[in-house]
Amino acid sequence: MYNVHDVPVAVSPEASKRLQAEIEHIIGIYRVLYPTENLDIFLYEGNNPIWGRPSIHEGKAVLQPAHLSPEFLGRMECPGTDRAGPVITIFVSIPREASPGEVKRQDPDWRPVRPLGALYAAAPILYEDIRYRAEMRRKRLAEKRHQYVSLPFSRGSSLLPAVPEPDSDKAPAILIGMHWLEVGGAEKLGLDSIHWALEAGLRVFVVAGVPSLQRLASKLPDRPDVTFIRLDRYLPDDQWPRYLENLIRAENIRVVHNHHCRQLYDALPQIRVMTPWVKTIDSTHVVEYADGGFPRISGVWSNYIDIHHVISRQLANYYRDHFQVLHNVVLGRMLDPRDDRKVLPPISMQTAQNSLHISFIGRMYYQKRPIVLAEILKSLTGWAKKADIDLRATIVGEGPYLAPLTQLLRRLGLLDRVTLEPADCDVPALLDRSDILLLPSNNEGLALVCYEAVEHGCIPISTDVGAQNEIIPEDLLLPLSPRETVSTCTGIVERLWRDRDFLDRQKAALHAAWARLSADPTAKEALMPHYRDAAGTVGKG
Amino acid sequence: MALLNKIAAVIVTFNRSAKLMKVLDALQRQTLAPEIILVVDNASTDDTMALVEARAKEMPSIRYLRLPKNIGGAGGFHEGIKAAYEQGANYFWISDDDAYPEPDAIRKLLDALHEFESNHQWRPSFACSRVEWIDGGLCEMNTPRAVWDWARFLRPEKPWALVDSCSFVSVLIPRWAVQEHGLPIADYFIWFDDAEYTRRLSKSYPGIFCPESRVIHDTPDNRGVNFGLIDEKSLWKFKYGARNETSFRRREQGLPGVMAYAYGVHQQMKRGDVSWKLRGQIFRAILRGVAFRPRIVKV
Repeated sequence: MYNVHDVPVAVSPEASKRLQAEIEHIIGIYRVLYPTENLDIFLYEGNNPIWGRPSIHEGKAVLQPAHLSPEFLGRMECPGTDRAGPVITIFVSIPREASPGEVKRQDPDWRPVRPLGALYAAAPILYEDIRYRAEMRRKRLAEKRHQYVSLPFSRGSSLLPAVPEPDSDKAPAILIGMHWLEVGGAEKLGLDSIHWALEAGLRVFVVAGVPSLQRLASKLPDRPDVTFIRLDRYLPDDQWPRYLENLIRAENIRVVHNHHCRQLYDALPQIRVMTPWVKTIDSTHVVEYADGGFPRISGVWSNYIDIHHVISRQLANYYRDHFQVLHNVVLGRMLDPRDDRKVLPPISMQTAQNSLHISFIGRMYYQKRPIVLAEILKSLTGWAKKADIDLRATIVGEGPYLAPLTQLLRRLGLLDRVTLEPADCDVPALLDRSDILLLPSNNEGLALVCYEAVEHGCIPISTDVGAQNEIIPEDLLLPLSPRETVSTCTGIVERLWRDRDFLDRQKAALHAAWARLSADPTAKEALMPHYRDAAGTVGKG
Repeated sequence: MALLNKIAAVIVTFNRSAKLMKVLDALQRQTLAPEIILVVDNASTDDTMALVEARAKEMPSIRYLRLPKNIGGAGGFHEGIKAAYEQGANYFWISDDDAYPEPDAIRKLLDALHEFESNHQWRPSFACSRVEWIDGGLCEMNTPRAVWDWARFLRPEKPWALVDSCSFVSVLIPRWAVQEHGLPIADYFIWFDDAEYTRRLSKSYPGIFCPESRVIHDTPDNRGVNFGLIDEKSLWKFKYGARNETSFRRREQGLPGVMAYAYGVHQQMKRGDVSWKLRGQIFRAILRGVAFRPRIVKV
């Protein structure tokens, strides 16, 4: 047995309990990685709430004073199957508990970059313009700077023996890799797929690639067949492939589904060669300007992946146009299960109405361009005043841009016309009473809030980014350049208010786009056959 | 003997979707199916993309490389072999979008390469099929060129003649040859890219002509490459051919080679009674070819 230092009396029972739980978790991880070896674990008290700074030394430790720093908690020996066998030394910190402030706020308030602070203060839209130009330059260079060729994957020669699939008495399982468990579109799909996997009859193992507080961990189903393994905290990146191979074998994992987890992509050679019976699926959402983002990474790994699940046709075309891949790209929209009886309400906006309610719903990050939103509202307010229209706006969302946006709205004299709502407000009710939804985003996959807007009789207007043109008619799409976004948006709103034919055409086009999207397979429909196949529950409802 | 047999079929196409589908049909029937079928689309304006996308649902080996503009057959084969090489293919089966291989065509090419290596220790740099026209006769434009000792290993049961040149219609090229000699010259655009490339490969060791591997070339007519056949309609192709072969001769044989080539072209045009106006254009293309020195891209 291992020896544990006595817990000081002054430590609270909760802290002690947490320490023990974390130690158990660490031992659990390293026992999978080193099933038979003797483990010598050196524990430290972490000074950040996120990451355990793990490092591994394969052999006995040669201790130095640095190993016995003021944060040194103690040492644990976990014997393997042979006391005289190899020793693995692990150095790892136990992250401290996050403060309530850290839990509440994921990122600090946004500030303009220092050299351009004065420019932002004088003309926020010019600041946005510079940022836009910098990003477009990165986009132009992306093709040169980043690889757009799928890595080759040789399956080897049939003359050599294939890897035998081990027998397992455990129920089939799935490994779901997330970028992190924080709020986001990919994470929503990740959480949904956990529920679908359980529904298919799979046990679920969840890992996250990016160390964070993993605030959505509390949303994971509280069931014994769902396990969240904190590799993000306690396992060095370069050990993920070996760890995952061992986990797959130990837990009878049949499917690996990657939702933007970089380490899981890096583990694919290990998975394909050591456990070739495992089906690999990934889901992708947004092509990033600077480097292509996860769709590019996915394309580079394409030969190692059985199924590419995409949420838009734009992404399917991305795989075709950059990686020549057609055969295993599966479209599955992030929509609720199909309801053929659903009847859309009429879109509420009418020409020449006396009041206009505009909404924005989104996280307060640069991606949504809150500063551009404020400039649009300023422009619209000016137009509405001249046209004698009572224009009101509601902005829903939280994040690092909330404070600067509030400040800017105050500066522009708009706070009496704009209501700020928290992220958990009643969005359907808001859309019901809104005429227009604005989405001046810098980038999107396919923003479902636009789809929801149509379902609530609200007209979405969005920048022409990502796959937005799959739900937004051409006449309601905005150019990306910030100043053009503002001027075009004002023009569109003015025309919708003034030109009845134009308004009617847009209403019809929105309903048609909504119907087209609704006719496509949903993500659940695209993924469930693979989950059921892995669970051996095909055809069981 | 090579142990790894991952074959990538590289088909270059331009606005011939119906014939391309027949090529894919023929590939689907192969007894040795390529692991990758790379369709290189030279920016077709017909329904090629839609048909290939639909076909890929039932043929998972299909990959689709759409080029932003038409860069000719030479450019298409350059890009296609490069992409297939990057995908890790051990052999490249190169062909046109209007050539239908018999079900055992690819297997017989691979078997021939393997057996030749086993029996004679030499590594042929390619193996090419017998290309037949739709009437079953030899397709004139796809006749391989034999080397002087073409019959060295030819046996009644294994009639593999040594050749140093063939067309890009059903030719199987091993990875080592591409690694050693690089890619076809994209700047040729069209004509002579295949002859130049296979002659370049042959510098390691000639290829083999495998008549037991057959492919049907569905061309509108069965005409060979002869400058006596030039007319206004075909002039543009002959100009590319003249420029490209001149460039090749200049590179490999120097000015005497160019002179000999120009004389041969002149004789063909004379015999064919080609108008002086057209002859003048061909000679100008030959002059351009003297200065045309496209780069050979290595992988």
